[in-house]
Amino acid sequence: MMIWVRKIHKWASLLIGLQVFIWVASGLTFNVIDHDKARGNVYRQTLITKQSTIANKDLLPVEVILKSYPDTIELNQANILSQPYYLLTQQHGLYRHLPNSYHIVNAITGELTLVDEQLATAIAKASYNGPGNIKSVVLIASTISDYPKQQNPSWQINFDDDLETSVYVEQGSGRLVGHSNSDKRFADFFFMLHFMDYGTEGSFNTVQMMLFAFITLWLTFSGLIWTIHMLRKGKYRVKKL
Amino acid sequence: MVCAAALTLLTNASGIFIVENDTINTKKIKPKTIRKKPFKLFNFSHKLHKWLMLFIGAQFVIWSVTGTYMVFFDIDYIHGDSLVVTHQSKINPENLTYPSQALFQQYPRAKNLSVGLLIDREVYRFNIAKQQYIIDAHSGELLSPLTKNTATAIAKHFYTGDGGVINAELISSNPPFGLRERHLPVWQVNFDHFSSPTLYISANNGKAVGKRHQFWYIFDWMFRLHIMDYGDEQDPSNWLLFFIASLAFFAALSGLVLTYFKVIKPMISSGKKRANTAKKTPQDSQLSVGDKA
Repeated sequence: MMIWVRKIHKWASLLIGLQVFIWVASGLTFNVIDHDKARGNVYRQTLITKQSTIANKDLLPVEVILKSYPDTIELNQANILSQPYYLLTQQHGLYRHLPNSYHIVNAITGELTLVDEQLATAIAKASYNGPGNIKSVVLIASTISDYPKQQNPSWQINFDDDLETSVYVEQGSGRLVGHSNSDKRFADFFFMLHFMDYGTEGSFNTVQMMLFAFITLWLTFSGLIWTIHMLRKGKYRVKKL
Repeated sequence: MVCAAALTLLTNASGIFIVENDTINTKKIKPKTIRKKPFKLFNFSHKLHKWLMLFIGAQFVIWSVTGTYMVFFDIDYIHGDSLVVTHQSKINPENLTYPSQALFQQYPRAKNLSVGLLIDREVYRFNIAKQQYIIDAHSGELLSPLTKNTATAIAKHFYTGDGGVINAELISSNPPFGLRERHLPVWQVNFDHFSSPTLYISANNGKAVGKRHQFWYIFDWMFRLHIMDYGDEQDPSNWLLFFIASLAFFAALSGLVLTYFKVIKPMISSGKKRANTAKKTPQDSQLSVGDKA
């Protein structure tokens, strides 16, 4: 039986040995990394939302708005840059990062508002307290490498600071998705290695991961049996060191 | 020079002799081999791997078992996403017969007004200071805090499974593990299923604020074991993990060295041998040419 245990251990190590090493090395990195820095929020500040001075009763009544937008699932009051708006949900995802669709309606004029480059930039600036200036603004409709889970089109506002901060603002709702910077990308790289997420889908439930995990079980259990066997045979002797 | 010497030493250690190297290097190596304990990467790695794994091998077993659990169970399933329906029912504006103006008159300090559905009826949700309220948009009737019957009906409305409700309990303080305090008060509605699913329905806004089942609690345990968190910090930067992972680094590295000597190298040399025996004459002449060069 021990022949087979050794064989399994050797062949499993050949198949996945390198990844096991990557797992340990990246795992050790998570252990020593500065988690506050890795969040990418060094230059992030809370959006200052002053309650608008206009009383709720002076806003356009919600009934009127809902009559103009009949396919609404939920209406919420929202403050965008201290201006009152109604956020109408037309398609509702279980989480905000899952596909959602919205209308943003100005609560004073009733005007349909789009989060264009200008508004997105203003929201990003309001959330940013770093030294940088805006370098570029891009609308990303495909997967965002900094936020792979986000499935709704988002504006990427890039700042020219020392950390290469990027701010993401959701196009449909004006929601601040988050900040990212070189520190976060550094940590994300190790997460990518640890999760074998080489397609950067933001998931560890992938086929390659399951396959490797399965082989790892063979590696560790054969190693365990081998070690127990050596212990019983008296192969662990201190004087031999 | 040293490199070449080391290479030969290594090949000797693994019991493989490459003829062309030996012929060149034998003379230069002899003084080295006289030394009492020459550094042999294979022997060193072998001892290191053997001894380190005696002490931390168990953690490798734990890492592989917990890691396998975490990657095999879909994380969305673990989060209980499949326990709830995301309803897409639309608001019928005709049903808003209790006007929002009346609401603001009755509750002048109401903030963050929202209009939505509570199962199938239109409701207004708002908060006064930190307290949330729901009122029926048809009649203006105050619905919060929700009764047990309403909360159970909402939970059933969200739940995707077939099993019935076992019990419902109002939690106003000390949230159970896995539920944030800010969601209180909530109705904890338990369903009949082997994974014991629970939906948490906010008593003040009627929304499903939590969904848990046994697989989530197991996942949580697996994660703690994976990051060696035996307190309750949920923090991967603990000293125990640092100590064990640092040793694991060398254990894995030495394992890689062993894999090279015990698996990869024999494969290469047996491949060469096979090639040698297959085409003996042409291969030999090629090798001798290579040697001279």
